Amino acid sequence: AHCTLGLALLQKQELDEGVNELQKALDLGRGVNPKGYMIDEIWQELAKAKYLQWEHASSKRSWELHSLKYVIPVRSFSDEAIISHMKQLEVLSLVFKEAGEADIPGEVHDYLCCKITLDILRDPVITPSGVTYERTVILQHLQKVGKFDPVTREPLDHSQLVPNLAIKEAVQAYLDGHGWAYNTN
Amino acid sequence: MVSGSALSAAAKQAEQLRKDGNIYFKKDRFGAAIDAYTEAITLCPNVPVYWTNRALCHRRRNDWLKVEEDCRRAIQLDYSSVKAHYMLGLALLQKQELDEGVKELQKALDLGRGANPKGYMVDEIWQELAKAKYMLWEHASSKRSWELQSLKEACETALREKHFLDDSQPEGFLDEAGISHMKQLEVLRQVFRKAGEADIPCEVPDYLCCKITLDIFCDPVITPSGVTYERAVILDHLQKVGKFDPITREPLDQSQLVPNLAIKEAVQAYLDKHGWAYKLD
Repeated sequence: AHCTLGLALLQKQELDEGVNELQKALDLGRGVNPKGYMIDEIWQELAKAKYLQWEHASSKRSWELHSLKYVIPVRSFSDEAIISHMKQLEVLSLVFKEAGEADIPGEVHDYLCCKITLDILRDPVITPSGVTYERTVILQHLQKVGKFDPVTREPLDHSQLVPNLAIKEAVQAYLDGHGWAYNTN
Repeated sequence: MVSGSALSAAAKQAEQLRKDGNIYFKKDRFGAAIDAYTEAITLCPNVPVYWTNRALCHRRRNDWLKVEEDCRRAIQLDYSSVKAHYMLGLALLQKQELDEGVKELQKALDLGRGANPKGYMVDEIWQELAKAKYMLWEHASSKRSWELQSLKEACETALREKHFLDDSQPEGFLDEAGISHMKQLEVLRQVFRKAGEADIPCEVPDYLCCKITLDIFCDPVITPSGVTYERAVILDHLQKVGKFDPITREPLDQSQLVPNLAIKEAVQAYLDKHGWAYKLD
């Protein structure tokens, strides 16, 4: 029910409310059956919605930054400035780059990604060798390829997989700060 | 050409001298210890331990130049000597050669961890390394703050001058950007704030800290319940308090602890960006 409501709200461009409903649906669904087919669908819709939210906010931020950057008349810098003019321009450029950094799609840190698919983790699990994978992906590997850790090749059974809660938190914190990473292409 | 038996006699004597030196060292008689090690070195100059032992004495006397000399020699003889790299690192830091010193300390830490992750030395080396990295950050960060501040002031001045000129235009029209002057100054402030953010101490994210001590992780391990702790701390808990997970209370044995490699990487990335977090209270 939350899922349907969420999607309807998104249709109406009520992004924030829509995202809230979808998140509720996802949490409820995961509580009942983490591997259910609906979970994947809900996640996809949620990710798309969160990406839209980010896109909106980020365009606004980029535009503000961009217009400000070119408005500051560079030649007005006084000679008393202790660092040289060229250096000032360099630092200024870095400053604007840093300010806009969170909004520029780049590479997600290795440790936030599955070692098999290289996609950002959603439901990370860790093996006794200490390697972290996406749960569904490693389960599939164990079923179809063999009962061993893909990276270390040590014997591995699905009962040995442990949820890497700390990394899950880390991924969420990253997505909160870098909305472009919701783009699951 | 020295005969075989003469060689082993010298080696035996040198070993005895080393033992003597160790006894003097334990009694804080560093001068006597140095003499003993020096004799041992004269007899057998290619034994790395004699050089590092002597370096230890020099360190206790704060004779850093000699510490550096002896350590370099020890490293030439044995590149994997943890003590040699460690003390060389400390000596370089004394000379304010921060970058080189940090490199040596890092080398010592890596070698030490490889040999014995729970050894007392590893903890000491880590403490010194963290101190040094904090100093490095402090230097770099002061410089950055100052640069940012002067640049920010220059930009604000330039903007105000421009606004003044714009405002004195006959029609008082807005500049091409279309956003108000006040808003521009606000965005400028935000820009500079963001640029300096990484250097402002704040709270380290929860998921990078031990659930027991609340300190940033050094060597994180995860339990079958999915909770991550500092290795030394959870081992201590299992030994002294009981064989269960402190948070979930599920039964737990030390053999079930798994190194959380991903979190370890995350911690390093965080420290690289936020050097202030090296400060250990």
